[in-house]
Amino acid sequence: MGAFTPTRQETIEDQKLYLDGRLREIACLDCLAKVKVKKNSEHHTAVQWSDEALGHCTEFARLSGQPGGRPVYESCPRLMASIDRAVTEGELEVGAEDGY
Amino acid sequence: MSTATTEARALDHGLPPARYARGWHCLGLADTFRDGKPHRVEAFERKLVVWADSEGKLNALDGYCRHMGGDLTQGEVKGDQIACPFHDWRWGGDGKCKEIPYARRVPMRARTVRFETAERNGQLFIWHDPEGSAADLDILPPEIPDVLTDAYTPWSWHTKEINGSHCRELIDNVADMAHFYYVHFAFPTSFRNVFEGHTATQYMSSKGRPDMGSGGYGDENSTLKSVATYYGPAYMINWLEVDYKGYVTEVILINCHLPTSQSSFTLQYGIAVKKPEGLDEKTVNYIAERYTESFGTGFLQDVAIWENKAPVQNPLLCEEDGPVYQLRRWYEQFYVDQAEIKPEMVDRFEFEVDTTKANEYWQAEVAENLRRRAEEGSTADAEAAATADA
Repeated sequence: MGAFTPTRQETIEDQKLYLDGRLREIACLDCLAKVKVKKNSEHHTAVQWSDEALGHCTEFARLSGQPGGRPVYESCPRLMASIDRAVTEGELEVGAEDGY
Repeated sequence: MSTATTEARALDHGLPPARYARGWHCLGLADTFRDGKPHRVEAFERKLVVWADSEGKLNALDGYCRHMGGDLTQGEVKGDQIACPFHDWRWGGDGKCKEIPYARRVPMRARTVRFETAERNGQLFIWHDPEGSAADLDILPPEIPDVLTDAYTPWSWHTKEINGSHCRELIDNVADMAHFYYVHFAFPTSFRNVFEGHTATQYMSSKGRPDMGSGGYGDENSTLKSVATYYGPAYMINWLEVDYKGYVTEVILINCHLPTSQSSFTLQYGIAVKKPEGLDEKTVNYIAERYTESFGTGFLQDVAIWENKAPVQNPLLCEEDGPVYQLRRWYEQFYVDQAEIKPEMVDRFEFEVDTTKANEYWQAEVAENLRRRAEEGSTADAEAAATADA
């Protein structure tokens, strides 16, 4: 990252750890979207979308079609169900590692 | 207990950026600039002059005349133009010198730095981009329905200078769940962030701590539902639904800032309250004043932290913390050239914080505080009684 410059090499490592550490690819069971997910606990979820995944999401496409557009806060319920399923099937491990 | 030993962690203060953010920046309530006078605004390590032309359109130029450096903010509005107090050079809102009354002609190169302006929700915005791009009207903050009508109280607008902090400290709050308990005296019972494109949003439900007295987020009788979105780097709309003893009020809080240097900024906040039906004007105004006061208190609570903390480029997080690294990655998009924006800076990111453990601990702590206070109270009562008996 450019604008705010770290002055220590270890900071770059921290950035990688907190931004990318333990992210796992999860495919939606209903569409072609693939996102990266991390679950530190049953209630915690982090979902990293890509432009491509957004383009595939049929639920978001439907929401975009309504007046006023897609409300940014809405999660995709189908994706959330897919994540829950991945947890049940043991594909996605739940738990944090030293705060990340 | 863990037996693992690690080295002491160093704080990386990092280096502040060499530029100011690209995007729309709010200067305040538009009408305050429409008094026929030039106004001085400090922003981006510059002095700007802002004035209204004869039709009420607001203009913003660099504050110093390109002739001999006269201070245009001390000049005079003449017709549509701002006239320099030094030699009366007249500058138009398009950044061109329109007239030099004592000269045969105006030099063709007489152009100064101009900031495009726009108005939203009764507020004045300027576009800032170190690359000099044309203003992007598509990413102006949205119009808030009815806010300028009689359905809401008029904006109560406040300004505060913050010294010794980069404005990113203010942005960090978007992802900071736990500070609401410690700094603002509220239990954040649910907390979620979504970053996408040029917006960053915080969704929070909270209720006040009963051990800290009233005011702001911390009133024990109130629960809050809050949706707060940054539209670009410097302007947030916070929609608040405050439930005070079962009485629900909708409040809109604007939180915006102007960077004045890499270690100072001007914080501005404005509050409009949706007038509850069936209440008289006096009561409505009283309610609005109370909310203005309490959210103002909230900002002062943050300021006390900012003014004393160190900048940290490598925050150490625990699993109850919000996604501060991802938030900063989002914020980074405004500090790089448009061509250098990486997909991950703008890609959608969702983060649901698990507040369960934190709230269990906090509830217990507050209960203990209340118990101790009651005990001290009864001891004090007993002592007072004993003294009275003697």
